[in-house]
Amino acid sequence: MNHRWDVDDTTIIELKIGGFAKSILTVNGNAVPSSLTIRRKSEFPFVIPDGRHAAISIRPQFAGVPRVELRVEGNLMVPTEKTPVKCPSCDAVVKPNDRFCSVCGKAMPPAENYIFQKSAKEATTAIWTLAVLFAISGVIMFFVTKSQDAAALARLNSLNPNDPFPNSINGVAYTVAALRDKILWEPWGVLIVNLILAVVMMGLAIWGKRAPLAAALVATATYIVVIVTNAVIAPASIGQGLYLKIIVIIFLVRGIKGALALRSAHA
Amino acid sequence: MRPGAQFCGACGYAVAGELDTPDRPAAAGPNSNFELHWGKIKQIGLLFGLLLASSLFLGIIGRFNDSPWSEAIVSAIDALIVIAFASLHYRQILPLLGLPKMGGRLALRLLAVAIGFAIAMTIYFALLQRLGVPMLRVSDNYRKAGWGLWAMLVLVSLTPAVVEELAFRGVIQSTLESIFDRRDAWIIQAALFSVLHLSPIIFPSHFIMGLCFGYLRLRSKSLYPGIILHGSWNALVLFQELYWP
Repeated sequence: MNHRWDVDDTTIIELKIGGFAKSILTVNGNAVPSSLTIRRKSEFPFVIPDGRHAAISIRPQFAGVPRVELRVEGNLMVPTEKTPVKCPSCDAVVKPNDRFCSVCGKAMPPAENYIFQKSAKEATTAIWTLAVLFAISGVIMFFVTKSQDAAALARLNSLNPNDPFPNSINGVAYTVAALRDKILWEPWGVLIVNLILAVVMMGLAIWGKRAPLAAALVATATYIVVIVTNAVIAPASIGQGLYLKIIVIIFLVRGIKGALALRSAHA
Repeated sequence: MRPGAQFCGACGYAVAGELDTPDRPAAAGPNSNFELHWGKIKQIGLLFGLLLASSLFLGIIGRFNDSPWSEAIVSAIDALIVIAFASLHYRQILPLLGLPKMGGRLALRLLAVAIGFAIAMTIYFALLQRLGVPMLRVSDNYRKAGWGLWAMLVLVSLTPAVVEELAFRGVIQSTLESIFDRRDAWIIQAALFSVLHLSPIIFPSHFIMGLCFGYLRLRSKSLYPGIILHGSWNALVLFQELYWP
């Protein structure tokens, strides 16, 4: 896990976190001994070559990678990433921590905005993940349910369709024909429901590019409703993939907060 | 200064001349707007969560008990929850409780929306029926218990129409409009309305329903046209079950 900050034209700070949570901090290629660790909340203050005070803080997260932040003279720095930073006014590529665009001269947004944009993007990724998971689980569940129902259908086929089925199911009495229709529908129902949810999530992920806050809100509500409804239909399902469910909800809520912070700043 | 740059990236100084550079914008983050909007989102979440909890409660007790009394009690709880939230937001709700002020043209447009809505819903549910999708019958428990038509109309048609319109087009849409623009608020309330009906198979139909009711409320600035259309649709479903099965 590497983090790099191009603080200005003359200062580059890098933090490499390797195996066993060991961290190596370098300033312009020179190693600086530090006590940073990703195992717990930690902060390391130091001085950069031009004499300014800097501090790196690491905050472990319940879900996702630890949050690593660099502040110089108290100002948050934008990390250097593969995707270049562009000026929101003229779309020119600028240095991550430029305060002003070197092409059009307009003031660049503060570093906090990049953090919130990242949270909003993570929420959109979580929504895409849900869309894919619903689609895959729909197809798998279709075949699983169909194979499970085969034995029951074979048994029903040997009975007279107009006769009442001897046992009631969930308190409801069925004729053999009605029960057969119900069982035949079951795998298709599972498939259609999951595909609808996949399409809903896909639509929300696409909408999330324009309206990340709105999309994250609706996706969170939809996902919670799906989890809770499944828990009522099959109480054992609440424990299945519990960690994944919690992680997805955390990313969505973080996305809501990030997108809301951006919106509130521009309101 | 970097070679080729027109402005200094650090101070905004213009190489070419005396261009003024604006101040650096304020940082986004936990400012007063954020706290205000976050508080409103939490309120919507709480209302949505309480309505969801009552639906689930009904779902759970419905497994063991098919008495219409459970539906009546849950409807009453929902009504109390929504009235409590509406009272907290009375400043936004009161103007929506006035009669709609509309000219003939707007009335015709709303009527067209209502007719379009009825046609779209009829086609959607006919399609589901044709596909063999098992649909929930709203009147079965009432008929089994021997409850009369008036009780069914109150509990199946009128109460949900009033409570849901007050909750979604009243409290939720109005609160969302103070955070989002009107179009996004309209779409979000429709999505939440469809999701709260707990059945993904009817998400598309109920999303369109939410959009139609939200549109009526937006154009008429009143909850009554939505309540009338919502209640009429519920009554139509009930009559269809009772008289044209």
